[in-house]
Amino acid sequence: VGLGKVRSGRVSMAVWDLSVTVEDLGADAPPITVSVTSDLHIGGVILKLVEKSQVKRDWSDHALWWEQKQQWLLRTAWTLEKCGIQADAVLIFMAQHKSLRLGLPNGLTLRLRACFSGPVFRTVLGICKMLNIRRPEELSLLRPVEEKKRKKDKDLSEELHDLTEVPLTSVSRPCLYNGMPAHFADSLQTEKVYKMLSVSQPAPAPEAIAKLYRPASVVDKAHIHSRWLDSSRSLMQQGVQENDRLWLRFKYYCFHDLEPKYDVVRLTQMYEQARWAILLEDIDCTEEEMLLFGAIQYHINKLSLSEPQTMTSSPAMDDLDSALQGLEVKLDGAESSPQDMLENLTAPELNDYLKIFRPKRLTLKGYKQYWFKFKDASISYYKSKEESLGEPIQQINLKGCEAAPDVNVAGQKFCIKLLIPAPEGMNEVYLRCENEEQYSRWMAACRLASKGKSLADRLFQSEVQSILSFLAMQQTNPNTHTDDSMSINTHSLVSPRYSKKYKVKQLTPRILEAYQNVAQLSLTDALLRFLQIWQALPDFGISFVVVRFKGSRKDEVLGIAPNRLIRIDLGVGDVVKTWRYNNMRQWNVNWDIRQVAIEFDGNVNMAFSCVTADCKIVHEFIGGYIFMSTRSREQSDTLNEELFHKLTGGHEAL
Amino acid sequence: MEQLSDEDLDHTDGGEEDSDKEDQDLDKMFGAWLGELDKLTQSLDDGRPETVQKAPQKAPLRQETNMANFCNRFSMYNINEALNKGGEGVDLDSLMADLCSIEQELSTIGKPNSGKNRLGVPGDAKLRQKPPAGRGTKGHGGAGGSGGGTSSSGGTRRPLASNLDDITAQLEQASLSMDEAGRQSSHSLASSVGTVSEHAVRSISQSSWSSVNSASASSMDSLDSYLRPSEQDGATPTPQGSNQGPPGSTEVGQPVKNKHHCKYNPEREREREREMHSYLDWETSLILQNIAGKPSHLLTKEEQVAKKKAEKIRVALEKIKEAQVKKLVIRVHLSDESSKTMMVDERQTVRQVLDSLLDKSHCGYSPDWSLVETINELQMERIFEDHENLVDSLLNWTRDSQNRLMFIERIEKYALFKNPQNYLLGRKETCEMADRNKEALLEECFCGSSVSVPEMEGVLWLKEDGKKSWKKRYFLLRASGIYYVPKGKAKASRDLVCFLQLDHVNVYYGQDYRSKYKAPTDYCLALKHPQIQKKSQYIKYLCCDDVRTLHQWINGIRIAKYGKTLYVNYQEAMKRTEAAYDWSSLSSSSIKSGSSSSSLPESQSTHCSSDSGVAVSENNLSGHSRSQSQVSSIFSEAWKRGTQDEVPPVLTPSPYPVTCLY
Repeated sequence: VGLGKVRSGRVSMAVWDLSVTVEDLGADAPPITVSVTSDLHIGGVILKLVEKSQVKRDWSDHALWWEQKQQWLLRTAWTLEKCGIQADAVLIFMAQHKSLRLGLPNGLTLRLRACFSGPVFRTVLGICKMLNIRRPEELSLLRPVEEKKRKKDKDLSEELHDLTEVPLTSVSRPCLYNGMPAHFADSLQTEKVYKMLSVSQPAPAPEAIAKLYRPASVVDKAHIHSRWLDSSRSLMQQGVQENDRLWLRFKYYCFHDLEPKYDVVRLTQMYEQARWAILLEDIDCTEEEMLLFGAIQYHINKLSLSEPQTMTSSPAMDDLDSALQGLEVKLDGAESSPQDMLENLTAPELNDYLKIFRPKRLTLKGYKQYWFKFKDASISYYKSKEESLGEPIQQINLKGCEAAPDVNVAGQKFCIKLLIPAPEGMNEVYLRCENEEQYSRWMAACRLASKGKSLADRLFQSEVQSILSFLAMQQTNPNTHTDDSMSINTHSLVSPRYSKKYKVKQLTPRILEAYQNVAQLSLTDALLRFLQIWQALPDFGISFVVVRFKGSRKDEVLGIAPNRLIRIDLGVGDVVKTWRYNNMRQWNVNWDIRQVAIEFDGNVNMAFSCVTADCKIVHEFIGGYIFMSTRSREQSDTLNEELFHKLTGGHEAL
Repeated sequence: MEQLSDEDLDHTDGGEEDSDKEDQDLDKMFGAWLGELDKLTQSLDDGRPETVQKAPQKAPLRQETNMANFCNRFSMYNINEALNKGGEGVDLDSLMADLCSIEQELSTIGKPNSGKNRLGVPGDAKLRQKPPAGRGTKGHGGAGGSGGGTSSSGGTRRPLASNLDDITAQLEQASLSMDEAGRQSSHSLASSVGTVSEHAVRSISQSSWSSVNSASASSMDSLDSYLRPSEQDGATPTPQGSNQGPPGSTEVGQPVKNKHHCKYNPEREREREREMHSYLDWETSLILQNIAGKPSHLLTKEEQVAKKKAEKIRVALEKIKEAQVKKLVIRVHLSDESSKTMMVDERQTVRQVLDSLLDKSHCGYSPDWSLVETINELQMERIFEDHENLVDSLLNWTRDSQNRLMFIERIEKYALFKNPQNYLLGRKETCEMADRNKEALLEECFCGSSVSVPEMEGVLWLKEDGKKSWKKRYFLLRASGIYYVPKGKAKASRDLVCFLQLDHVNVYYGQDYRSKYKAPTDYCLALKHPQIQKKSQYIKYLCCDDVRTLHQWINGIRIAKYGKTLYVNYQEAMKRTEAAYDWSSLSSSSIKSGSSSSSLPESQSTHCSSDSGVAVSENNLSGHSRSQSQVSSIFSEAWKRGTQDEVPPVLTPSPYPVTCLY
């Protein structure tokens, strides 16, 4: 064959047979053989192939995959010769979009069609577009951690949320319909999927958390980062098969332009990723921080369950109603003179018999009962109800105070611990209430007063309600197993370390205490607050890689953060040195010896080889973060894909 | 401690003699006559059966409420408090009546009961007592020709209706009558000030009074705003047409509302916008949302009605708010031992007060001008942050406080932003940094989705409670508070013990704790609740080895506590400085445009993406034979995002050699 070509020169090319497997005909079907010449372009090959297969269907998504070279033949104008294809090439004709099982940050798995032929960066773009996640450049795909095959036989079929039916063409423009992108509104099933994407998941069972893989050391964490796929190559090229499982995760921890109005899914998934990072001790935090995270999780769970799926409901709208009602009330009354009107603005009161205890006085008297009156952010108490018209025994102004619960539902103890600032220091006062109902009203009043708000504030009722509902959580009454989905085991809100450290009844009051500070947040604000505290953790956003620095004999850890590189001693965990991207002049990767070399201002040079991850991953992290920093607020919606590849591509891009 | 309440009417002169040299001050004067006013009201109230407070005989057993008696602390007096009985609505009728009757009694009463307790005056229930309706008018006759004859509750009032229109109408009515009341009270205030000063402060000559008056009027918006709350309606004919204010009250210009508007930053403006709509019904607010940004001539009739409605309600509510604003007269000490007296209203931030002080004092603009609180008793001081509310902070002082408020230039205030590299990078040694890098660093730290608290950690000395001994501990600063490493543990986050959370405490510089508490060094800081004013176990004292560490910790704590607000404060301060510079320089326009853009890093247009795009392609052109990826130095430029030239970036060779290391 080859000789014929030489003899006939340029005029007539030798015809040879090229056999191509058509995937859609089934695994057992023999390859189809087409006659080609070397100057036939790829498009021509496909045309012949389709004709010969005699299958009438839409082949537009199909392309040729060259098995030996592990590459797609996507340039249809290129000739076989230019591609270097000869008769021994094993070619497969298959769809570029295949179904993929995609693990989301919230732990659920989607089945959807993803692009297997474009670079992973492009694939992620497509997935995010479908899922309605803005800023897809911050996410990427990674191979999941192998689950321990403990239950080999059971192999509980995980719930899959199928999105493969969503026609890809309809995804192009995300216009909202019924509060969700139009392509989700097609069927009830996809609507359900959208809800799953945009509403945070209920708290997992503590046992489930304990069972999941937790990185025990910084080396374990480093191994997770060796799983990131290469953004500049396609899924097929990286050995990902149809129906394989991959994780979609936020990879670059600089979240640009977060806008709750448009970022419902993005925000929810970000929260889920943060939540799991904390629950699985992927990121370290202090006890106080953990309790606060627990409290916000509880709050978010509660709101997600109770809030009807009208995404548009904004607290401002509630304000309108209540404010207007307030106005009506104020203007009510026969003679609404300004005085009357303004007097109606004054706060209502609380009046009750309560018990008070002041530990400072060093007496063993304990709690004494008085008649208490709560008005205008201060508490006055009297010997009895009858004397309440006279002079109070004492008046306590609560502005600026700290009100902490001291509650044991089982023991029917409902105390409010007040720490009241005074010029001489802080005064400690305990108020003991009779029951939940009384406690919740007084506690709500104290909390509002501490912020300088009065009982007239519209928050009062909701504060009362949230205190009541939290108290209900503590009622461990297994007999009345109602459909009360609100009752959550507080162990499911903290990481296993704290589950082990504290019993539920120790943990719940502490979470309750932290909960007081967040109970008034709206769902969106709660999500944002959670993310904010997460982002403020010292270890936030650091991706670890085990490396060996040039001239060093031991393995060390390189932490890659959004703004800096950190050299960490593997043994002690101390930060040895920090380099900021700000001062970076250039970095080079020697792909032959797989070494990264970086030069900083002032002739500071460093070089290392990667132990746990491929140096392409490290290169991509550094280039990716630099790319993220180039995004500006003005050109908000344009993504400079070319630049991303230039910064992260490595030798493939050149 | 000398208390005004112990003075008799006739002793006012004596009081002036034995107090300090600034007796001619406005505050003293106000204090004096308001003190009298209080006593008189009290004596009047004592006559009533419903009076709650029979002060001397039966005082509260323990006085824990330091809010109750804040009015006359540190020689400042809250006029509005006394007049308006605090935050719960204004009873202008009774107020006026009180004033008038006081005036009457002033001239007749010889010596009021000197044992009267002035505590708890402002919030007192007694002021809530409504006087007999006739008294106001009656008393007013003598008050010097105010428009007292018109009762504030006058005007026709429709019966309550349920729909919004009627409510709006009602509100309008209410606001109108509020205006009247305000006008009357302002006038009667002015007139009774005149009277009282004649009677009670006889030593102050008429001329000095008027000079004080004019000074305060010119320099203090707040005073204007208080004395003339209602020019707008007074100047424009009202539908009722009834109550034109007396000539005296209309003489002043702008309603304060507008003045404040121009001071607000856009963010707050937006908040206001939102707030503004929060009292409208659903329908109207929907309409309003729809028409936002639409030119007015394109609006439908319905929309216009809705808009008007909203506007009216807003105006009415604002007036209600306006009437409740508290004012304080404060004394500000300068570095040359002199002092200034000024009035601040409770809404003013430290920045606003600083601005007005700067306007007055002609001391040259600099962002370093600060209001510093010094607590003598505890030997500590703190620079107030620009966003803080001054009145709120000052109300924490005790009645007999020795505390001082200083107006002084302090470089510590914004050193953090001038040399961020020394504070944000956790470095041990000071260093220089290029300006554009500083800006990038600040933006990175403060303008992200969350503020990154500098990683402060190290050994500090902690004073043991109640002892003069100090022990070393390893402390760490986190966004959630200050922690320390317990003995025998590594500094893993999970093992840290929380030393203090920052929500409720402020950080202070300690002064000379070496001698006061036997501190190991002079570089001490203290953390305490702002209300604590005396020695207490609740105050925590820390001591650093050197002054650098001290400043780093204090600034770290400020960042953890205030976050981005600090940076916004700084930018705001810089803007003022630049604006001032513009005025003084001749080539104002060019500088203005240049400087204002550089003060707002986030508004800079960044060409970096195109920059680095260029860089990459250039890089590619240079070619790499080996399998290497080269990223040129210009990437670091991209990171720095320094450029803001209007011209498109030029293809220039990289300033740094693009070398192959292999």
